[in-house]
Amino acid sequence: MRGSKAWNGLWLTVLAVIVLALPLVVKSSFAIDIFIRILLFSFIGVAWNLMGGYAKQLSLGHAAYFGLGAYTSTILQIDFGISPWIGMIAGGVVAMTASLPIGWLCFRLRGPYFTIATIATAQALMLIFLKFRDLAWGAEGTTIPNLGSAPWMMQFETKAAYYYVALGLLVLGLVITWRIERSWMGYYLVAIGEDEDAAEAIGVNAPRIKRDIYLISSFLTALAGTFYIQYIYFIDPPTAFSFNISIEAALVSIVGGIGTLWGPVIGTILLETTSTLLQSWLGGSIGGVQLTVYSLILMAVILWRPTGLMGMMREAYQRYISRKPARA
Amino acid sequence: MWETVAQAVINGLLIGGIYALVSIGVTLIFGVVKIVNFAQGEFVMIGMYISFFLSSQFGIDPLASLLVTMPVLFVMGVLVQHFLIRRVLGPNDMPQIFLTFALSLLLLNLALMLFTANYRTVHTSYSDEAFHIAGLYIPVAKLIAFVVAMLLSGALWVFLHTTDLGKAMRAAAQNRDVATLMGINPNRVFCVALGIALALAGAAGSLLMPFYSAYPFVGQVFVLMAFVAVVLGTLGNVMGALIASLMMGIAESLGIQYVGADSGLIVVFAMLLLTLAFKPTGLGGGRVR
Amino acid sequence: MKRDRKDSVDTGAGIKGTAPKRQGRRDFLIKTGGILAAGAFGAVPLRGWAADPVNIGALYPTTGSMAQIGVGCVAAAKLAVEMVNDAGGIKSLGGAKLNLIISDVQSDTTVTRTETDRLITGNKLSAIHGCFASALTLIASEVAERAKVPIITGSSSDQLNKGRTYTFTPFARASQFAKAQLQMAKLVSDTPKVAVIFENTAFGTSTSNGLKELAPGEGVEIVMFEPYSAGFTDASPLINKVKSSGANALFSVSYLNDLILIVRTVKQVGLNIAINGGSGGFVIPDFYKNVGKLAEGLQGVAHWNHDMNPDCEKVNAEYRKRTGEFLFEYAGGLVAQTFMIAHALERAGSADPQKVREALSALDVSSGYAAMAPGGKVKFGPDGKNVYGRPVGVQWQNGDLASVFPKEDARAPLLKT
Repeated sequence: MRGSKAWNGLWLTVLAVIVLALPLVVKSSFAIDIFIRILLFSFIGVAWNLMGGYAKQLSLGHAAYFGLGAYTSTILQIDFGISPWIGMIAGGVVAMTASLPIGWLCFRLRGPYFTIATIATAQALMLIFLKFRDLAWGAEGTTIPNLGSAPWMMQFETKAAYYYVALGLLVLGLVITWRIERSWMGYYLVAIGEDEDAAEAIGVNAPRIKRDIYLISSFLTALAGTFYIQYIYFIDPPTAFSFNISIEAALVSIVGGIGTLWGPVIGTILLETTSTLLQSWLGGSIGGVQLTVYSLILMAVILWRPTGLMGMMREAYQRYISRKPARA
Repeated sequence: MWETVAQAVINGLLIGGIYALVSIGVTLIFGVVKIVNFAQGEFVMIGMYISFFLSSQFGIDPLASLLVTMPVLFVMGVLVQHFLIRRVLGPNDMPQIFLTFALSLLLLNLALMLFTANYRTVHTSYSDEAFHIAGLYIPVAKLIAFVVAMLLSGALWVFLHTTDLGKAMRAAAQNRDVATLMGINPNRVFCVALGIALALAGAAGSLLMPFYSAYPFVGQVFVLMAFVAVVLGTLGNVMGALIASLMMGIAESLGIQYVGADSGLIVVFAMLLLTLAFKPTGLGGGRVR
Repeated sequence: MKRDRKDSVDTGAGIKGTAPKRQGRRDFLIKTGGILAAGAFGAVPLRGWAADPVNIGALYPTTGSMAQIGVGCVAAAKLAVEMVNDAGGIKSLGGAKLNLIISDVQSDTTVTRTETDRLITGNKLSAIHGCFASALTLIASEVAERAKVPIITGSSSDQLNKGRTYTFTPFARASQFAKAQLQMAKLVSDTPKVAVIFENTAFGTSTSNGLKELAPGEGVEIVMFEPYSAGFTDASPLINKVKSSGANALFSVSYLNDLILIVRTVKQVGLNIAINGGSGGFVIPDFYKNVGKLAEGLQGVAHWNHDMNPDCEKVNAEYRKRTGEFLFEYAGGLVAQTFMIAHALERAGSADPQKVREALSALDVSSGYAAMAPGGKVKFGPDGKNVYGRPVGVQWQNGDLASVFPKEDARAPLLKT
């Protein structure tokens, strides 16, 4: 991709050191909270990107899996005393299972109808969870019991621990994306994303590939759901199935660079930092500012640089290379 | 007992008229320009706020304000098409979907910033009155809204089928390339389509003001119903959207009455998902009309 | 990070769009770095007055769907702190002034989590008051409990009194509201037949469940019990159902926008039914602003009202001067809460949150601003509940709320409609 392998390796190592050492150096709880948010939403974006970025299946209903993951682990924890670590995996399995009928329904549609259908399914799930109290506390939701320090139940007393868990999730997502990018599946995904009919014409089994990537994407999103609830200590249907999560998943990927490995990460860093700055400048005294800015950024990206930040950096890099007369 | 049913049907029909105005706009844009306007609800909201300000500052009745909101929104439609949508019309879906989506977010949050989340209500002499006929009641404001909505829909249908510009729009909807070859300027046609669609949204807003309160999120409520109606009635089919809207209003009302008051949305979603599952092209026959 | 691009030449379309953005981005990176660095090394918050102020945190949604109530609450919070400070501050701490640190929770659960955290870790807080909304308060309380900072709140959610030691609720609980509402139905008719409609999230379900459980005991028959999805386009189907249920009273547990629609629709239908809108959005000035005369005579239940005693009216007058509206339940309640915190600080003689918590748990007042509550007494039980806490039935009269129930709390006669 860019530069030699050694160069890449060096960058990655430096990055890894910085990222690993961050919570040890930075003491402010507030700052670590921001980092955790960045890690978590990057992860959610990466999960979305597998489907929405590479295969161009633009879902705005990923909150469905987020919520399913969150509720599965919470129900297992509170009703059966099962550790959220296991619950997280169980949540992922539930999400994968749900993605099959949802996928069957939604993949019959193309383009914006697919998007609308995904929005509808996430909303429908929220309504279901709101209505049925016996299932999962209904509308009132519930808090996670305070266990103090209980790492085996995914409750930590220090923020740093949450940071590392989130980091682990992100690394998982990035590694999976990286592997897929380089595999046959990756090529199929991109082919489907570019032109599904043409891809099928040359023998790509589009329905099966779409189904498979949806399984992976939903599984990962569900993991994020579990973590999130463990972090904020509270779950209710509007929080777990929040449309904003669906939006942010897509938003960070598009702004950062749809269909790229690091796109969602960079997009999240930009958007979360912007949002934090806005919060501190305006103190949240005027409602709607953050989303106004987000939507302006999104529009700007779409109108002028649909390839996102990654695309912009790539272009800049190309120009840089082409300027130098000769390279060693 | 049949009174209850009849009342439920009437309630549903009346609100269905509003859904129709919003959904016709969406389906028109889809049919002609081939994009889904996620921001349609926000234009309804804009229509409502314009009517509200005209009413509270100048005492103009919301119905009279139709004469302002419709032209203003028509112009907005032209501007949106010319400066925004035109740039993303291409084979790639993603920009189209997210552009109008971002526009929706933008308008909603701008409204939140400028007007705050407070509800704005207009009280007219007929706001809370109703006709009582045969044991049924028909709220005056809603009836007026329904009638005007039907008139506007009818006018649109006539426009599309009898005027040259209307026929040009249908031609561009059916086959853009051939239409261009025949000398139709697609951008001009799209501008008109956007203009009309948004004008209808603005009309919906004005018609809503006598009995509904304006607030930034109001568009979201209506746009959801509109989208379902559009899919049900087949994308691009104006008549289909109209009928589907009325049906949905009635279904929602009956659902609330007989299934449960929180089931209105579920009934509607069920209709949507069933249609998607078994007849994804909608009940309108799959053709753009 | 990435090196700055000095290029101004660009290929492709949209040149004009990118140049200013790049400049902006550089400044932006610098500012980001600055703020993150400042935040990382523990930025110090605003300092109000001089010697050793005591920090009180206030968490309210001033933006988002609950903003109408939140904004009023913040105005009241500021007023309350001024009142305490003007009276000499906390004397046992050498006249230390209260420093109010406000945070907007944006009517969102996630933001509440982050903001509560940020408020606590970024400042040395002695106590917090806030978030009248149940879902938000539950989260704030969770965070406060773990951080061992006392939080005092007007939220009526019964869950707040379970398994917590740092959460204090001086006002009526959801179950008490329900009881009062049922009893008020009997004011309207001897054989009350009530239709209960409620929005299907936390607020509506918890309150309505209380109604369902207590109704038989109060001799009230519930003829309809329906959750509905908040934010509907049309209240007619719902009201139609109410009509066909044969009810003579309607209890609506709803947020403001639905209440407006419901009240107006009832009028349209020509349904002659007594509406008791509970509390929350029903008992704020905004309700009257949007519904107008239709509100006259409608009954509700509040956990605080400004006509309860002369102290309340004094605060009301001052609040009215500042905001132009009457002091509604949550806003008035938190003025009392601020004084309760001040009281606790006095007794504890320390700004340490744990000592404040102990002082609060031993609080027992029956006069003064800290005791502004229906019944005029505040004493916390081991579960953080006020043992004297009860709601007050109110009625809209002439654009303002008058307390009408129970007899000992009635300050105005009940208007018959």
